[in-house]
Amino acid sequence: MTNVADAAPGQAGAPKRTSVRGLLAATEIDLRLFGMLVALGAILLTFNILSGGKFFQPTNMITLAVQASGIAIISTGMVLVIVSRNIDLSVGSLVGVIAMTYALVMTDWMPNVLGIAPDFPFRWVIALGFGVLLGAMIGALQGFIIAYVGVPSFIVTLGGLLSIRGVVWYQSNGAAVVGLDPNFQLIGGGAQGSLGGTITWLLALVGCVAIIWLIINGRRQRRRFDFPVRPMWAEVLIGGVGCLAVLGVAAFANAALWPEGLANRIAFEQGWGPTPEGGWNIPTGIPLPIVLLLGVTLVMTWMATRRRFGRYVFAYGGNPDAAELAGINTRWTILKTYVVMGILCALAAAIAAARLNGATLDIGVSYELYVIAAAVVGGTSFAGGIGSIPGAVLGAFVMQSLAYGLSFMGVNSPGQNVVAGIVLIVAVGFDTFNRRRGS
Amino acid sequence: MTVETGAPLVEMRNINVAFGGVHAVQDVTIDLRAGEIVGLVGGNGAGKSTLMRVLSGAHPADSGKTLIDGKAVNIANPRDAKHYNIETIYQTLALADNIDAPGNLFLGREKTTRLGSLDDSKMEAETRKVMGRLNPNFTNFKMPVKSLSGGQRQAVAIARAVHFNARIMIMDEPTAALGPAETAQVRNLVRQLKEEGIGIFLISHDIHDVFDLSDRISVMYHGKIVDTIEKASVTPDDVLGMIILGLKPDEVTETDKAAIELRG
Amino acid sequence: MSIKRLTAFTLSAVFVAAACSSGGSSSAPSAAASSASGADCTVGMSWNNFQQPRWAAHDKPNMQKTVEDAGGTFIDADANLSNEQQLTDVDTLISKGADVLILLAQDTQAILPAVQKAKDAGIPVVAYDRLIEDSSVLYVSFDNVAVGRAEAEAILAKVPTGNYVLIKGDPGDPNASTFLPKGWDDAGLAAKVASGDIVLLNGPDGTFTDAWATEKAQSNMEAIIDKAVADGTTIDAILAENDSTALGVVGALTAKSYGYPPLSGQDGDPANLTNVAQGKQYVDVWKNANELGKAAGAAALALCGGADMASLALPAGLIDAAVAPDVLTVTDFVTPGNNTMNSFILKPTPLTAENLQLAVDGNQISKEDLCKGVDPASAPAACQ
Repeated sequence: MTNVADAAPGQAGAPKRTSVRGLLAATEIDLRLFGMLVALGAILLTFNILSGGKFFQPTNMITLAVQASGIAIISTGMVLVIVSRNIDLSVGSLVGVIAMTYALVMTDWMPNVLGIAPDFPFRWVIALGFGVLLGAMIGALQGFIIAYVGVPSFIVTLGGLLSIRGVVWYQSNGAAVVGLDPNFQLIGGGAQGSLGGTITWLLALVGCVAIIWLIINGRRQRRRFDFPVRPMWAEVLIGGVGCLAVLGVAAFANAALWPEGLANRIAFEQGWGPTPEGGWNIPTGIPLPIVLLLGVTLVMTWMATRRRFGRYVFAYGGNPDAAELAGINTRWTILKTYVVMGILCALAAAIAAARLNGATLDIGVSYELYVIAAAVVGGTSFAGGIGSIPGAVLGAFVMQSLAYGLSFMGVNSPGQNVVAGIVLIVAVGFDTFNRRRGS
Repeated sequence: MTVETGAPLVEMRNINVAFGGVHAVQDVTIDLRAGEIVGLVGGNGAGKSTLMRVLSGAHPADSGKTLIDGKAVNIANPRDAKHYNIETIYQTLALADNIDAPGNLFLGREKTTRLGSLDDSKMEAETRKVMGRLNPNFTNFKMPVKSLSGGQRQAVAIARAVHFNARIMIMDEPTAALGPAETAQVRNLVRQLKEEGIGIFLISHDIHDVFDLSDRISVMYHGKIVDTIEKASVTPDDVLGMIILGLKPDEVTETDKAAIELRG
Repeated sequence: MSIKRLTAFTLSAVFVAAACSSGGSSSAPSAAASSASGADCTVGMSWNNFQQPRWAAHDKPNMQKTVEDAGGTFIDADANLSNEQQLTDVDTLISKGADVLILLAQDTQAILPAVQKAKDAGIPVVAYDRLIEDSSVLYVSFDNVAVGRAEAEAILAKVPTGNYVLIKGDPGDPNASTFLPKGWDDAGLAAKVASGDIVLLNGPDGTFTDAWATEKAQSNMEAIIDKAVADGTTIDAILAENDSTALGVVGALTAKSYGYPPLSGQDGDPANLTNVAQGKQYVDVWKNANELGKAAGAAALALCGGADMASLALPAGLIDAAVAPDVLTVTDFVTPGNNTMNSFILKPTPLTAENLQLAVDGNQISKEDLCKGVDPASAPAACQ
């Protein structure tokens, strides 16, 4: 392995052996994230074997991903909350009240109060705006009480969990509200709520280019200050694997096809002509909820690692006193973490309401548990100061792969809950054990 | 040693701080000249750290005035203190364990790119320069400071205080965690800073350090200043007497001395 | 004939007369008798949770009207899901002079001290909608086994053979695990599965849904659809135990663009009735709470006048014939706790696209809400 000449002696963790350890160290891959990817792969492989190869099909994996998307989106924000030594138990109720708000805005307020026609193409934008605003406001209120008044976050968000869920009842007198908006529905995924073949390939290409650019730029940044850079072979490997992965996911998503019945119906409505020999075979591509999740993950990771806001959240979590003494406005930082949560809940609520094309009393119930589990499985510690946003998203996928896999195999919910609980304990226990050993 | 005429660099007049039923700082007046080291000593709970926290912005005084270069200032928070070029090395170091050395050095004062994002590379480069002068063996710039030794952590805290053009420094037990070699290094650094005209408040339990470095010594006892004297005019025993008994040298009786020896 | 029986017989006759008359010209002695006995009667109602929309919209108005039309007084209290509060409420109702109590028990066991108090005060008790394990109490409710039977009868008639999916409610709720599935089997499900006419795609017990939650039902159903597609089997029919789970099933079918095999549900929730009108749900078994309120009101009035519980009878014509029990006198109901109770068990109304008008007539849903989004070309009768 060649290293740039001025690699400082005793550089942490770089044993120059040709082993997996050495490989990982040279490529500087996060061991934990890598381990979680391996675990996810193992779970999917196991279910595939148990089901005789029926499990790991494009359509099924898309179902799994869409089911995980809402929890994953919220978990990106929960990482910041837990890192800064707080908690948010109100996310489930927040999702519920915002979902019901979406339903009421689209079925009642827009036609009756605002006078917006049902065929106005941007109804979904207005509804989404309402939801995000509501989420941000409730988040700001909770954040204010926690950061400026000083009431412990457990209490404030527990109160939020109870009172906000009560409000949902008053919104619709307990009834389900359905029939939202055909454009809004697309946010929930499904064949029509997906990017389609061409755009999926384009997105994959953009992703590949972005990965290569990031590698080149990172190398350039290091060179600028004469820092040690990764060996060239490692850069090529990462770039190559990254691109392959992105293109592979795109190919996999494009292997999922529209149900022929739907294709025929739309063909008839849109006048595409007769059904071709062998069927329409229209690729669905990546569903919109996953695109949303991708965007959220990128933005949140960027905020956490490359912006002062993220730095301050982690500093506060590591040593609140140090953050204060460094002159950081810690209260404003904490408040912002809750505003972010509110906005993320609004996005997750949009996915949930779109999937159901309506809202019920119980949307979002128990979300907080799954979100916290995802964050924790993904490496976020309740001691504060340590957390990973990509890890939380992976954690959400790991937990959902179990739930979906067990559902697929016909294991009922009590069984699913038993497994979920055990996995949570094992994952966190394994992580704690590793940390103890390492330090 | 440069003798400054005119207004002192820092003057704290009639400072009072009380919390939780404890009157931690009682009507304390203290000053510091440029290029001077004032040793601030006293027993546990004497009020030294609290007094310095007023100056560093960590804790507001209940009453009293702070003047810098003869002008009254209001130091309401750590940001204000840094604005007046007051840098502090806290006894606890006040480092965020989960963040690396550059991150800690620039905590709250991060360098940003044109877009407002963190410029980690630039901060790392500057940290390498600063740490290179202080501790040439330090190489761990990417790991969280939690994995550093006590001496290395101290070096980061010192580097942080030194890097930002301080005129006034507060050092609270700067050699507490250090071995002899590192302690000598810190002592050299302190002398060097003094040469540059920086005024330093030095809190230390180590009488030898205090006598070695200070120009004047202020002794606190139960929140009050016992006396502020020129180092040259007292002995370590005199100072010990002030610390333990709260009495000036000429007020100490033979019985008191005996009591100290028995306790010692 | 004992005085008690004579009184009961007279009162029954009186009620029949009152019901049959078109609100005016009843013979003076009967009218006097009815208003006299009604006027003396204070009926006390203890709700467990008045928050649910159904009680305010259906049960209470009908109960109250039945009582007040006969000249009685109606008082009530809401326990807000709290057992302790309900005990207090019963005390309050008794002290306000209730002659008969109707109890919607928050918990079938926790309510017993209140029942004892009433017994001690000589006040007859009617158990409303929810069972109270006490043989001295009159049980007025719908039969959940019959609901299950109605669900399955409708679907089995539409899809006599094929692949079925069973979606059940919360595994801890006896309705979900025992009563409704028993009704399904009574309708012939078990026999058809045994003979191979029907294949269960998701296991002999089906899939339970924690807390009857719609979202969970949707996730579960999506996995079931994926499995069926992967296996190459078609889903021909879906038996869902209630409307909240059925709503989730429809969500899953829509998300997967699977189409809408015949689907069952119960409760007559407006959102589901709209789905029935649009062809996304096949049958919704509705328990006409209006009639239940009337029945309880009438029974309470009769008990008020000292009637013997064992010989009570519902006035003919008071309750819609389709909903009323086959016999208008009390029948025996054997509880899971092996108590034999006097009961009036009403019949559920299966709603399909053909008879949705009943729901509109019964104030369950407005025509406008029902027909929202219905394609005029394939609209059901109620929407034309």
